[in-house]
Amino acid sequence: MTTSVTPPGMIEIGIDGKPVRVPNGTTVFDAARINGISIPTLCHLQNQTPVGVCRLCVVDTGARVLSASCVRPVEPGMKVVTNSEKVLNVRKTLLELLMSDHPSPCARQEKSGDCELEALAKAAGISQPRFAKRSVARGNDDSSLAIAVDHDACILCDRCIRGCDEVKNNFVLGRMGKGYSAGIAFDLNAPMGDSTCISCGECMVSCPTGALTNKGLAGTAIAGGPGAEIFEAEELLQIPVFKGVSGTFLELNRGAIVNRHFRKGEVICREGEFGSTAFYIVEGRAKVSISTPIAHVKTQGGAKGFFNRLTSTLVGREEDKREEEARDRTIPIDASVDLSYGNPVAELGPGDLFGEMTCMNFYPRSATVIAESDVVAYEMLRNVLDIMLKNKTFRAQLDETYRRRALENHLRGVPMFADLSPEFIGHLKEGVELQRFAPGQAIVQQGEPADSFYLVRIGFVKVSENYPGGEMVLAYLSRGDYFGEIGLLGGGVRTATCTALDHVELVRVSGDDFRDMVARFPSVRTGLEAVAAERRAANQQRLQMVHSVPIDQFLSQGLMEAQSLLILDLQNCTRCDACVNACADAHDGVTRLVRDGLRFDRYLVATSCRQCRDPLCMVGCPVGSIRRRNSLEVIIEDWCIGCGLCARNCPYGNINLHPFEVLADDPENAGRKKAVIKQKATSCDLCTHLKEPSCVYACPHDAAHRVDPKAFFGEMLSQGGAK
Amino acid sequence: MRIDRTHRASAFASLAMLVVSAIVYVIYALHAPQGPRGGSAIGLLFGVIGFNFMIFAALLGARKRVPTWRLGRAQAWMRGHLWLGLLALPMILFHGGFHFGGALTRALMWLLIVTVASGVFGAALQHYIPPRMTSAVPLETIYDEISHVRLLLCEEADRAVEAVCGNLGIAKPSGEENQRAGGFTALRPIAAAAVPLRTSAAVSAGASAAVATAAELILLSQEESAPLRSFYLNEMRPFLERPGKRSQRLADAATASSAFASLRTLLPAAAHAALTDLEGICSEARQLALQERLHRWLHGWLLVHIPLSLALIFLGTLHAVMALRF
Repeated sequence: MTTSVTPPGMIEIGIDGKPVRVPNGTTVFDAARINGISIPTLCHLQNQTPVGVCRLCVVDTGARVLSASCVRPVEPGMKVVTNSEKVLNVRKTLLELLMSDHPSPCARQEKSGDCELEALAKAAGISQPRFAKRSVARGNDDSSLAIAVDHDACILCDRCIRGCDEVKNNFVLGRMGKGYSAGIAFDLNAPMGDSTCISCGECMVSCPTGALTNKGLAGTAIAGGPGAEIFEAEELLQIPVFKGVSGTFLELNRGAIVNRHFRKGEVICREGEFGSTAFYIVEGRAKVSISTPIAHVKTQGGAKGFFNRLTSTLVGREEDKREEEARDRTIPIDASVDLSYGNPVAELGPGDLFGEMTCMNFYPRSATVIAESDVVAYEMLRNVLDIMLKNKTFRAQLDETYRRRALENHLRGVPMFADLSPEFIGHLKEGVELQRFAPGQAIVQQGEPADSFYLVRIGFVKVSENYPGGEMVLAYLSRGDYFGEIGLLGGGVRTATCTALDHVELVRVSGDDFRDMVARFPSVRTGLEAVAAERRAANQQRLQMVHSVPIDQFLSQGLMEAQSLLILDLQNCTRCDACVNACADAHDGVTRLVRDGLRFDRYLVATSCRQCRDPLCMVGCPVGSIRRRNSLEVIIEDWCIGCGLCARNCPYGNINLHPFEVLADDPENAGRKKAVIKQKATSCDLCTHLKEPSCVYACPHDAAHRVDPKAFFGEMLSQGGAK
Repeated sequence: MRIDRTHRASAFASLAMLVVSAIVYVIYALHAPQGPRGGSAIGLLFGVIGFNFMIFAALLGARKRVPTWRLGRAQAWMRGHLWLGLLALPMILFHGGFHFGGALTRALMWLLIVTVASGVFGAALQHYIPPRMTSAVPLETIYDEISHVRLLLCEEADRAVEAVCGNLGIAKPSGEENQRAGGFTALRPIAAAAVPLRTSAAVSAGASAAVATAAELILLSQEESAPLRSFYLNEMRPFLERPGKRSQRLADAATASSAFASLRTLLPAAAHAALTDLEGICSEARQLALQERLHRWLHGWLLVHIPLSLALIFLGTLHAVMALRF
């Protein structure tokens, strides 16, 4: 006989006689949902805080009264009944009461037939409510150009209010009045068209009835063109992946999703291009690849052959080992797969979504996608993708694809996890949770108990620490980076706050799985501890700097942000440009510094990467080719696709795009190649392949120095500021 | 290279070497039956040492051609070049016993003296000019960019004047009207506060530019703007096009200042902001002209020093081969 022990943090309850285990803090509604038991509700949406106002989700927990399951947390040993006669009768009465206060059919039911209240009433067999209808109408508000408000159809579920306040943070909608006169109101009960409403449509999408509906006057649309078919809302609702999406929303967004047909060999999207749509493949296969050559930028006609080899010998290059990096390097792209560094080509098929980051965050396309067979794909704008990502069916399908195709690569992309056994990876693949965060949303807060470890799947996360007087940004993390290990390995408390900078998706490994992992794989523990110690030391150093340096002296030139400055002592510098020539010589003829910049005292802060503490350049790279190594330097990997986002993001103009010529397929003459110009970003890498930055080594006049601004200028500043 | 305290060790070492060599030479000269000669063992030794110093000094040019080769820091090579190059002269004088000899050796000796003198002159220039350039040219830009920056200054001035005087048919239509001419360093007072700026190189490369606000558009009547039009077309524009001519009034800061001050009295207050801008442009043009002059001094001497050095090495080798063979 075996006994089952409930793991710590989990609670075992019974729902309709079925034993289930859920984490402590889960609501009864979610516990039922996770275990495939459906409970009807009107006021609750997955992306909103439950409030329990409609009471339709009542269940019997054995207590004196029935409980609203959306707000009732589970308790050990709780026995929940969701479908007893008593419960069903109560729900039916509630529906009758709601229907008595609801014009049937409402505008939504008339237009798209998906009023949630009327659907539930119909399912419960309610045709005519027993109760008297409201005698006084609450009225309509037709003042908005985009949205019609029918206060009579409103059931006061508050979904629109939470959508406006919690989801979109617009804080326009609220409640006004009491009793029969209670209703939703815009600002201080202004007509919607006169209020501060921005017509984002979130309230309308959240509304379960016809109280807020699309007037069909405003909308967004993707450009048509050959092979594009615009869907009608009714057609979309027949497609499985749109099951559960609001018909009103689809109607409003007519044209924001189109069905596209691509012939074999046709380019679906090109790397580096800016766009605003995502693609969901319905039929056919497509090849996703990076066509920009994976190589560092070189000038034409550089030294070759014997001379080149001789140079390499004398130049004293040290092998750039990158010990902190994974053995199997992968290039993250904006799709459900990562590309292998050795062969950056992969295949996408039915059910794959790509272009999510471009669509949600307006980043450049990270790769080129070409139809390998005839392809049918849905191309959609951000508002459609956003609502679809909230759709459980679609979400589950995407998550499944990700778990199956990319999660293992993603986990193994973290160097420390390279030694995990396939069986443990399999366990993690099933056990991890995929979480989404909106821009600005806090993922973990400094001081909170640490209960999980996170891998960044999509988007950028800002890591910051609060200290008396302000916030210090410690790092920006992008796809493939991870956080949360310091809290779990240390005192169990978060040491920093992590915030989503844009649309962020994370892989959450629970604290239990994390502890299990570090216990079973000592190499993982050692690696994580080393990284955690390094991060702690670096953070400490940064904070000490904040306290010791008079910030105002540095702020005007952003020197405070720099970790390593290339400065030229203008008293010594003879403007011979030996530094620039050396830089070009060390980087295949392409200089990464310009002997120009702002002056600080008698020093010229040259235009060369400062290795900023707050490396804004790293935010947004669609292929993750610009990143910070554990040591210090910000480097641009050779798979850069030349979109130029990092160059635009750098506040100091220290990243440049260098054009170079490559051979590519000639679209006009099949099978032939022609020369095209591609670009790659270049930035100072501190000559990591050499022993010392070449610019400093080659300066004959003792004028060029790579310095830590705190150490170098500290004495000068402490003596009363720059002269 | 600035000859400062960091050269103390090299200077002492060179001095010690000179003293020892001088003592050896004096002893040798006193005891040599036929007087000091280049062909004697000691004389030959001085010749070999002096010639090797010259070769080492000359190799600095080759060293600069391969800046990333790890053959020792360029700074150490430069110090060696300075001090050993300087020591080469007494060594060769000891080698020849202070006699200039025949035609070839006489030519060689004079070549060496002129080369060393040009080197000392160059070292002095490199000691004094960089600090002067740093203080006198705060809006310094990259030397090769000066003509481009000057062109931008001219366009900026054209636009400023046309904004006040109306169309003069001189300003080019520009898509970057807000772009301030000059580079990162040429950003006048806004530079200190404006962190998110681009360099001139980045601007030249087409990156988004650092900007100062465009002058407010105020059109004066023909009569009102006549003094400014006349000043600009007859005096300022020629100066911006050829700022090197020192005879121009605007080439001197003091006279330029008084010219603008008198112009202010002739123009309505609405045009004063544009005048301030034009004055700033003139100041920048003057600085660029000064930078150009100083840069020529800073590097011009090399046009003498390098060919003489190469000739010296060539003739020195010829002399050594001839002397040892014949």
